Amino acid sequence: MNPHHGSIQVAGIGETETVSADPRSIPEMVLEAVERALADGGVTHDRIDAVVTGSVDMFDGLTASNIAVTEVVGAVMKPETRIAADGLGALIHGACQLAAGAYGRVLIVAHGKPSMADYQCLTQWALDPIHTQPLGVDFLTCAALQARVLALADPDCEGRWAAIAAQRRTAAGDAGLLPPCTVEEVSNSPPAASPIREEMCAPLADGACAVVLSSSVLSNSEDGAAHPGVFITGLGHDLESHALGERNLAQWEGLKRACGRAYAQAGLGNPARAFAFAEPSCLFPHEEQLFVEAAGLSEGTAISPNGGLFAGAVPVAAGLSRLVAAVRRMRERPGEARALVHGAWGPAGQGQAVAILESGREREAS
Amino acid sequence: MIPVAIIGTGQTDHTRKRDDVSQPELVREAVVRAIEDAGIAGNDIEAVVISNMELFEGRAYPELWVGEGALAVGRPCLKVATGGTSGTSACIAGFHQVASGMFDLLLVAGFEKHSEGHTQTGMALTDPFWDRSVASGALGNFALSISQYMAEREVTEKHSAMVAVKARRNAARNPHAHLRMPDITVEEVLASKMLAHPVRLLDMCPQSDGACAIVMASQEKARQLCGRPAWVKAAATRHEQPYIGDIDRRLVTMRTLRDAARQVYRQVGIREPLKELDVAEIYEPVTYAEMAWYEALGFCAEGEAGRLVEDHLTDMDGELPVNPSGGVLSTNPVGASGVIRVAEAALQIMGRGGDRQVEGAALALATGYGVYAWADALILGDSP
Repeated sequence: MNPHHGSIQVAGIGETETVSADPRSIPEMVLEAVERALADGGVTHDRIDAVVTGSVDMFDGLTASNIAVTEVVGAVMKPETRIAADGLGALIHGACQLAAGAYGRVLIVAHGKPSMADYQCLTQWALDPIHTQPLGVDFLTCAALQARVLALADPDCEGRWAAIAAQRRTAAGDAGLLPPCTVEEVSNSPPAASPIREEMCAPLADGACAVVLSSSVLSNSEDGAAHPGVFITGLGHDLESHALGERNLAQWEGLKRACGRAYAQAGLGNPARAFAFAEPSCLFPHEEQLFVEAAGLSEGTAISPNGGLFAGAVPVAAGLSRLVAAVRRMRERPGEARALVHGAWGPAGQGQAVAILESGREREAS
Repeated sequence: MIPVAIIGTGQTDHTRKRDDVSQPELVREAVVRAIEDAGIAGNDIEAVVISNMELFEGRAYPELWVGEGALAVGRPCLKVATGGTSGTSACIAGFHQVASGMFDLLLVAGFEKHSEGHTQTGMALTDPFWDRSVASGALGNFALSISQYMAEREVTEKHSAMVAVKARRNAARNPHAHLRMPDITVEEVLASKMLAHPVRLLDMCPQSDGACAIVMASQEKARQLCGRPAWVKAAATRHEQPYIGDIDRRLVTMRTLRDAARQVYRQVGIREPLKELDVAEIYEPVTYAEMAWYEALGFCAEGEAGRLVEDHLTDMDGELPVNPSGGVLSTNPVGASGVIRVAEAALQIMGRGGDRQVEGAALALATGYGVYAWADALILGDSP
């Protein structure tokens, strides 16, 4: 693979406020995120060449669920690709379109509205309908099985996970859907799916997220936007085996492969100290442990400095929301020049995606 | 942009019900054939794009379960789902991913197993406030649009029946086709059951179980691995707003397909598509749509599609053979149907069309049609 992504700029970001139940319809939520991203990038729809949307039919109760958003993302009479995965997967595809030279500027949009239904119940329909789904297994129980494997190998981990959950909840502050809590409160909360406890779960949220990507030829300085440039320098995604029994659940091997591809593109030899911070899509503390190990990060890398998904986790949009959070932070703190962004989907992190962001460093495509 | 070519295709033998295989096994059949056709090993594939309409089988993230059948485990994999254009959009997605330089060899796999779900229920899940109660599903939508189209363009039921006959007779030469009816007649079509005026049973596509896969390669790999690859010369997508009441005379104007076709023709330098194209594989879910597409694709002037049919210009031995495979009218596993269009167009360029080969085909058009008049168009050719 060639590191063609060096010249792709994150030119605009926008998202709705993360809330547990947004009273608006999906198109209304998405419209707000899109308008914010376009305003942030200083562009209008007529300067967007193509759109990539991320949504999942089963969660929205719509067939080809991007029908709900075609108008508000400005895709009428435009190329739109709909990726049914985490929004970071949609972003990876949009970056490919730019790197291919097919378009000069692409809008990436993802949304999730779990308040409409019983989200965990719907996730059962993603599982092997012959062997797994009849058991009533959902994404939460798959995560718990993975956590159990880790807990059996390390009896102290549950205390550590409680500390992580408390730390993330506190870091989320007022922006979080749940109030800050203590380690003891996490440890003493009832089990959600053992060994995961209720207060270890990132709260589900409604939301929409939009990002304008631009090739270097059409950098947003043309539009007069004042943000320091944040560029995508590496991308990777991967799919693990579906059957949990075929996987080593003690690791996120798919993420390791995805990171390997992204690091190679970005020219990173040793990731341990390469990133100022990381924005993982971790719904539970044990996933953060898996993330840090698979990504090869050291203790010096700040993880989810603003609480990550513990502020509110929007299914399908989560990975894209992490990218928005990372870009915002890099704009505010020019010293934090490189970040790792992560998205995941499926049972126990079966689908994995990462993006490497670098600020103020436009790399030439080779 | 790095030139990209198709170097292998594979599809299942499509039929109403494949209860001998699971969804991953169905996909596996097509994938193995595509890999063998490309002359590569499964491990050579670097990335996968999957196409499927998940609610037709009542699934979420179907690629998670089915991915293994498509060689996706341990590889980058994304799923594209845009209704009928899912397959063509997945092929365009694969084209862009290879053209980006990210991957040299990529597999696109589309599938649908309609027999394990209820397609009309899936299609009824449209906008819950406005469309769901009045205009859901394929048939009602088509009946409304076709009535307008017939009224304005002097297309008759007999023209429609002739399209149905052409499709099913062509399909008789395609060993993979679902509806193979070599002896079908215009009278038989006109006597078939009325579903929703003016659409009769034999005017409509079937619901098929099936899968189709193609292998896409970067220029260097394509030249290395394939003597006569099918190069992707241009690709375009146009989406449309979803409310049926807001699209005036949808089939008559079909502005999405019209605009997408104009773009790919412009990119390739085509001025007279009927003469310059050697073959077309177009996504016609209903007979009348094929004639509307002729007009949108510029094969004839507005109002002349009926004449094109009467003159047999799009028959196998006509000026521009349309759907030598038998088209969607003969085979329709929705998530695969767009991939089949591209695969069949590629087969023609590669000279691997068997009994349905158009001799000397060097320039082919493939199109997709989905949901609310969404459209894809691709031009394949024997040179980059």
